[in-house]
Parts: sequence; structure tokens; C-alpha cells
Amino acid sequence: MTANAHRPRRATARRKHHWSLHAGLLAVSFFMLVPFYWVLKTSLTGENIFVYPPKLLLNDPHPFYYVDVWYLIPFARYLANSAIVSVLAIVANVVFNAMAAYALTKHFRGRGLIITLLLSCMMIPFQTTIVPAYLITGKLGLLNSYLGMALPTFSTIVCIFVYKASFDAVPKSLIDAARIDGLSELQVIMKIMIPLSASAVATNVILSFIWSWNNFMWPLIIVRDPDMQTLPLGLSRFLTYHENTTGALYAFCVMVLLPGILLFLMAQREFIQGLTSGATKG
Amino acid sequence: MQNTLTTAMPVASGRAHGAALPRRGGGLKRRRELILIWVFLLPSLVVFFLYRILPLLWNVMLSFQDFSLFGKTGWIGIEHYREMLGDEVFWTSLWNTLLYIASAPVGIVLALAIALMVNSEVRGRNVYRTIVFLSYPLMTVAVGIIWRWMYDEKVGLFNYVLRTLGIIDTPLPFLQSFEWALPSILLANVWQILGFYMIILLAGLQNIPQNLYEAASIDGASATQQLFRITLPLLRPSIFLAFVIGVMTSFTSFDLVYVMTQGGPAHSSELLVTYIYKNAFELSRVDYAAAITVVQFLLLVALTWAGNRISGGEAGAVKTE
Amino acid sequence: MSTHMPLSRITRIARGTASTLLAFAMLSTPVLAQQKKISFLTWNIADQEELFKEWIAEFKKIRPDVDVEWLDKKGPEFPAYYQTQVIAGTPPDIINTQGGLWLEYAAAGGMVDLTQYMAKEPEVRKRFNADYLANWTYEDKNYMLPFYISKSLLFYNKTMFKEAGLAGPPQSFEQMMEYAGKMSKGDKTGMLTLNFDWLYWPFFKMNGVELLSPDLKKAAFNTPKAVQTLEALAKATADGGINKISWTGRWVEPNGAFAAGNVGMLHAHSPAFFFIRGQAPWLNAETFGAAHVPGGWATPNSHGLGISKGSKHPDIAWEFLKMVTSEKWTAKFSERRKVLTGNIASDTTTLEKMRKDDPLAASVLQTQLEQTDKLTGNWRLAKDSRVKEAFYPEIQNVVLGRKTASEALKDAESKVNRALSR
Repeated sequence: MTANAHRPRRATARRKHHWSLHAGLLAVSFFMLVPFYWVLKTSLTGENIFVYPPKLLLNDPHPFYYVDVWYLIPFARYLANSAIVSVLAIVANVVFNAMAAYALTKHFRGRGLIITLLLSCMMIPFQTTIVPAYLITGKLGLLNSYLGMALPTFSTIVCIFVYKASFDAVPKSLIDAARIDGLSELQVIMKIMIPLSASAVATNVILSFIWSWNNFMWPLIIVRDPDMQTLPLGLSRFLTYHENTTGALYAFCVMVLLPGILLFLMAQREFIQGLTSGATKG
Repeated sequence: MQNTLTTAMPVASGRAHGAALPRRGGGLKRRRELILIWVFLLPSLVVFFLYRILPLLWNVMLSFQDFSLFGKTGWIGIEHYREMLGDEVFWTSLWNTLLYIASAPVGIVLALAIALMVNSEVRGRNVYRTIVFLSYPLMTVAVGIIWRWMYDEKVGLFNYVLRTLGIIDTPLPFLQSFEWALPSILLANVWQILGFYMIILLAGLQNIPQNLYEAASIDGASATQQLFRITLPLLRPSIFLAFVIGVMTSFTSFDLVYVMTQGGPAHSSELLVTYIYKNAFELSRVDYAAAITVVQFLLLVALTWAGNRISGGEAGAVKTE
Repeated sequence: MSTHMPLSRITRIARGTASTLLAFAMLSTPVLAQQKKISFLTWNIADQEELFKEWIAEFKKIRPDVDVEWLDKKGPEFPAYYQTQVIAGTPPDIINTQGGLWLEYAAAGGMVDLTQYMAKEPEVRKRFNADYLANWTYEDKNYMLPFYISKSLLFYNKTMFKEAGLAGPPQSFEQMMEYAGKMSKGDKTGMLTLNFDWLYWPFFKMNGVELLSPDLKKAAFNTPKAVQTLEALAKATADGGINKISWTGRWVEPNGAFAAGNVGMLHAHSPAFFFIRGQAPWLNAETFGAAHVPGGWATPNSHGLGISKGSKHPDIAWEFLKMVTSEKWTAKFSERRKVLTGNIASDTTTLEKMRKDDPLAASVLQTQLEQTDKLTGNWRLAKDSRVKEAFYPEIQNVVLGRKTASEALKDAESKVNRALSR
């Protein structure tokens, strides 16, 4: 937290504090990284994971599985499709969820009902909606299309609540001042709420990206055209019966994982305490 | 009831933001505002209506039918529900799903600790944050496959380590054990979802104004006191959201269970969602699956309502002066 | 000053959104085709993309007025996809199923009866191995043609056999259990089996256990012999002779384990051989053998091709089926994927060639054509998957030590009878 007077007792306490923090974080990191090590290792060596005892070190690694992945499936095409669908999903999420969250910060009759409804809806698993969702998308004429793939992910309750928590923390005085200046509601959202909710925006961008990028079952159901397939659908190629493709399978998973991580790294700025809070929200 | 839900949600920082707007100008202004509110809600509501509500209604209708994929469909009333009562796999799945929910707090507490740690000024916090988050964007299929290997009785990593360190003599069958299959899956789930919880909590932490801490420091409050008096109460909405996500995961966590154990052995790790899928697509009993879906949904509504009853009523407001 | 959004502005936004959505929808609406179109859905065989493209090109020559579309789905998603298409009224004209899934659809009236087509063209029927073709009959109607065939057999690791002082493959159930125990020292496993789609059933059949009564209406497996068999399997599992993943693993695990060289015997079906060989540098004629299980019993796990009832062009679909199961194409398929297709002529030539080029693979595939009168685990049960669902968890309960065999078989009996009576 923030330091105050530079009293030596405080400084030592802080350093000790930091040591224990590091220890804790290192333990957590170890737990998180061990499975990754194996995923990476197998993607570089392709060894049979049923050999015992398991080899702890990399045995002549080579990047050819990654090359395999690129050529075994139309990787570039799938990547482009996934990107388009995800961009659609992200834009819709950022806009629609912000609007909905803003509306929910106000008091009106039926608000509680809407919130309960949204919460309950969130908990309907996709597997139970496959057939009706397909029929509805068909009626809308959106089968086999980018919009059709992205549409169910256009709004999520988690993102709405993340926004809402952030919007609720914006001081009323700022909003009142804006209204006095004659800003419309939409402008209030765009000029005040969103800029002060950078971390919420970042969170929602990351989450909506991941959900749409990794979405496997829905594109599988509504896409017939092989040129429209998204990246996760390429997964089945590595799980085919006939071949051993564990090395390539893991290489594929690593490649699919990278954009999400990249996005997260780019959004890191928004999570640094002190950058977004402070004078503006104080 | 509706009020307790709404007071639980917003960050109440003592400012009555969102409280009833002053009725200047009378009814017309308010009416215009109401229209606006509903317009803003519309896109999200449309998506939910199309892809959640309508499918739910479809399931409700189906649950009272004897559905034939290729032949005639007839109405059979509550037959499926009656069957469910006597279906021991259903009860096992329900119990397992509840266990799954009960494990959510573990992950959340861990994620909270991590979020607080990486939110501090410790060096390399960006690296730690990224490491924790790495697992979330990984395809669940990959998570399932790698953890299944780690748990393997003969060649898995866990048994290898435990035996090399001499902690156990005979290997442990994790996913082949009736008792340990579900907990093993839960651990893999925590591993994957930790990043998700963390990011939600981090976003929540950003909403807490810095000057509160500064003021508290000046007043001589220790770090622990600041944690319990400022951070946690103001983080309550995010913690609640994380819990909601945890509940949601237990009702929707299909891929992980399917890849790791397919609900086995002998249904000991069967969740409601995997049982629904099996009924719908492997056993060609879409109608029975629909009935289970309806029951699951009602259960969720009940849980959500109960959860709000418990967490609501407590004012989120915190004295900041 | 007005601080709210004027009504006209709201209307403008609403109108704009609606027209954008409409534009999107119209852009995505597919253009109606002039041509006729048929589609075929295959089961997890995306690696044969080239072959299917050639099929489509060839069929274009035969029927230029027809466009053919190829779809492929992996096992777990196949039923979800197919059922969605059926409910939406657009089922793929031809489907390729594995194991017993076709029964669900055929028994419910979802597949076209091919008997009439074959009656008009008897030379088509003569192409195929009769025992395998009979696999896809239900109530005396034939619903599918063979795509590629396989049945279960026993792979064994000769090196491990030698080390344990054992001569050749086991000749009886008791010997099999004995050998499994002898070879399972340390980290080695005596035996593994696949468990999906009744693949483990030969272990019961070779002990004289029947699943159901001859009319398929009642359970018939709750017998002392069955209890004995189950207890033997449970004991072998507990002792480590049989690896537990036999009962809980999906197909890739037992195959991967055998490929690692730690397993004495693997009970799997022939495609497993090629998977294993790809992962097992130690594999050759001295170290590896393939044999029938004692009694010669085997569960078939073949892939068939059939026509959906909802197809709008069943006659065209039949023409397509005829083409792809003709000798020219089955031979090509066999060559590329090293499978037998059930087409007698091409299988014979394939094996002949293979005996020269790849004798080990030939010896494995040879077993697939032997003892085809000893097929089991392939009952013509409309409720096959429900019976399986009622039966198999109880087996798991015994072999993994939760219940006694007599208890479990009793429970299984009542559950199976209930499933059959619904």
C-alpha cells in the first residue's frame, strides 16, 4: 500500500512484508506453471506421455509441431475467421454491456426483477440451448455467418456487472456537473463513465475476447462452410483417431492461447493501482 | 426481496449515487428517462431473450412431451419429472453439482489473496499477474487432457512425485476412484479459473479510491486494518460476482468433466450438465434432458434468491471518514 | 437546459440499428441454388480430406446436376450436430456412424431402408462381406453399407511375454487372467482393454454369458458364471494385472500406454495398431503379435454409411453410396488409411499387397476377416445406448471395487430391465 513517513521500522516491516509476498506468489506461480511446462514440453518434443518415469527435461526439442499445425489445418483462414468473430463480439460487448450497466445504476421499477432474471439466465448452460439456439439463428437467417457466430456472445451478465460496479463508484458530483453542462445520457457514458472505468473496459475486452475466441460448440453447430470455421474447430484434426498427434495437439493449444495472453499483457496498464484511481475518482 | 438484491450489488461508498433522482420538471422528465433506461437495456435483453429465455421456454415445453426425433411427439405431462424423482443418477448429479458450488469459495479466497498480493507494490507483479492468468484462456480440452495425465495412476506426474519423494508406496488412482474423481476435477477447475477470479477482483480493486487508504494511514491504521475495514467491504460486489461465477461454472462446466472422466466412474463425477448432455445426445432422450434442465434452472433461481437474502440486508456502505 | 435524450434521437438510433441488423441478415442469407445438393457427414476422419474431394469430383462426372458437400464431426459432437440438423429439417443426406449409433436412428425411423435398393441391384449386396453387412440390419431391414470395418482383437507384447516366461497368446479366459497377473510387475501392466461400445463384451461371451434373452426383451446376464467372470476381472484389476484405465479410459489412453511398451496385452480393435505403431519405435514382428481372444469372440466396431430419412434426394444419395463403396474407391481408401472396407474384392487385393509391403500390418488386418461368425456385443437393440448406460456403471462398480459382483449384477439387471421396458 502507500508509504507514509519514512520511519526505519516501517521500512523494515515493508521489506519483510515483501519477502513473504514473494514467497506466496512464487508458490502460486509454481502451481500455475507446472501443467504449462508439460504442455510446452510435449509441444516441443512430442513424446509419448505414457512413458514411465516421465522425463523431466526437454529431450531434443524442435519447433516442427508448430509448423505442422500451420499446415495441417488452414490455420491462417481459421485465425482470420476467429478474429472477425471476436472483434464483433468485443465491440458489441463493450457497447451493449456499458449501456445496460448504466441503465442498471439508476433506480426504476423492475430493476430488481431484471437483475434476478439476468443472473438466472447466465446459469443456463449452453448445452441445453443448442437446438433452440440453432433454430432461432436459422430463422434470423444467420446460419453459417460471422454475425451468427458472434450473436449469442454479444452480451454477458458478468461484463454488465463488472461495468456496473465500476459505474457505481463514479462520484455523483461528476455526473451532476456533466448534466448541468448539458451532456446527454449517451455522452455521460462515453465522456465520463467509460474513461473512469478503464479497468472495467479492459476486463470486459479480455473476457469477451476469450469467450468468443475459445467458443467451440456453437460455431461447430452453425457453421457448415469449411471456409467459415474458427480456430477451435481445427482442434478435431488433432484428435482424429488414426494419428498420434499429441505434440501437434499441444502446439495447437499453445498457438490458440497466445492471442488471449497478448491481449492481457496489453491491458496490464489498466490494472496498475494509482493510474486510474486517484484524483479523478477520489 | 428485489431491494435486497439491488443493495447487494452496487459499490456503496457512502455516496448515494444512483439514488432516486430529484424530480425536477415532474413526470415527463422521468418518463423520458425511463424510456432511455429501457432503450439502453434493450440490446442486452434481446440477446438474452433470444439465446437464453426462448431456449429455456423450449426446454420447458419439451419437458412435458414425449419427443421423438423422427416420429410423432405427444404430451405426457409430468412423467419425466416423476421419473427424475426416482432416478438415482439425477440425485447423484445434483449432489455433485452442489459439491462443485461448495468448492467455489476455496478458489475465490485463493484468488482474493493473489489479487491483493499482485495489487501491491511488490516487484514483478506484472509477471505474477500474467502467470496466474495464463491458464484461463487455455482451451478447456487441453486443460482436461493434461490434468488427466497428471492424475494418471501409473504414469502420471502426481504419483511420480509422491512416490519419488517416498510419501506413498502404491500409486493413487485419482480419476479411477469413486471418492477422488470429483475432487480431482475440482482442483483442475480451480487451476483454470483462478485467473478469471483474479481479473474480476483486480477490476474491483481499481474502484477503491486511493485517498481512503491515505486517510487511513494518516490516522494510523495498520495494513491489516485497512484490509478489513476498507478493501474487503468495498470489494464485496466483486466477491459476490466471483461467487456467482463460481456457481455458474458448476452448472456449466461441461468440457472439463467430459474430457477428464465423462462423469465416471459410475457417475461419481457426473454433473447435472453432463447428465443433461448425455440424455439429450447419447441416449436420444431430449425430452428427459429438458426436464432436468428445467429443474436445474429452478434450483438456480432458488439459490440466487437465497444468496441475496443472505448477503443482502447488510448495508454495503462503509464509513470512509 | 435539456439533459435527456430527445425522443427523435432515440427513434433515429433505433431505426439505424434495425436497418443495420436487417442488412447483415440479408447479406448472410444464402443464395438459393439452382443445382441439387446432397451432403454427407463423416465421423472423425478429417485426415482423408483429399479422398473426399476426389469422391466429389468423380461424382460430378456421373451427376453434373448435383453438388456434394462434405461435413465431418468428431464423435462426442456428432449426435448433437446430427440431431440439431434433423430437428431443423436439414439432415445430411448421408451419414457415417461408428458402432451402434445407427441403431438409435434406424429403430426410430430415421434412416432409409436400403434393402429395396439392394434388391433392385443385387450385385451391390454381393460386394460386401456378408457377416459385416449383416451388422447393420434391424428387423430384417438393411440400413447401412460398410464404410470401413474392424473388430476387437488381442495385441500382445512378445518381449514382456518372454520375460515372464510365457509362450504365446492365452488360450482361455483363466490363462488370460493368469498371464495378466504374471506380467504386471512394478510399473508394467499385464493387460488393458478398451471399454467403449461394448468392446469388453468378449470377456463375458467367452465365459458363456449372454446379455439379453434371445428376444432382446429381458436381461439374461445375472448368472453364476457372470458373477465368476466379473469377480475374476475385479481381482485382476485390484492386483494390478488389469490397468484401471481399461474401465475408465477413453481409447487414446490404453493405446498410448501399450505404445509405451509397458503393457503385456491390449484388447482393442484393429485401427489401434496403426496408432500404436506411430508411437512405438520398439514395435516389429519379433516384439509384437496379434491374435484372437480365447474363443475367437470379437465385438465389431465398424463404420457404416446410410441415408437419412429426411433426405430430399435419397435416390441420388444411393447413387453416391454405390460409387464410394465400389472396388475402385474402396481400394484407394484402404491404401491410404490402411483399413479394410468390407468390400470383398478390394480387401483381398489390399491384403495381398500388404503382405508384401507391410507383413505386420497385414497380419493384424487378416484377423479382421477371420472368425466373423463369432461377432458379439452387437445386438440389434433399439435402446442400445440406454442399456449400455444402465449396465456399464455397475461393471465399473465391481471392477473398481465398490460393489460385489452379485450385488452389482442384481442392480444392473433391474436397471436394464427398466430401460428395456420404457
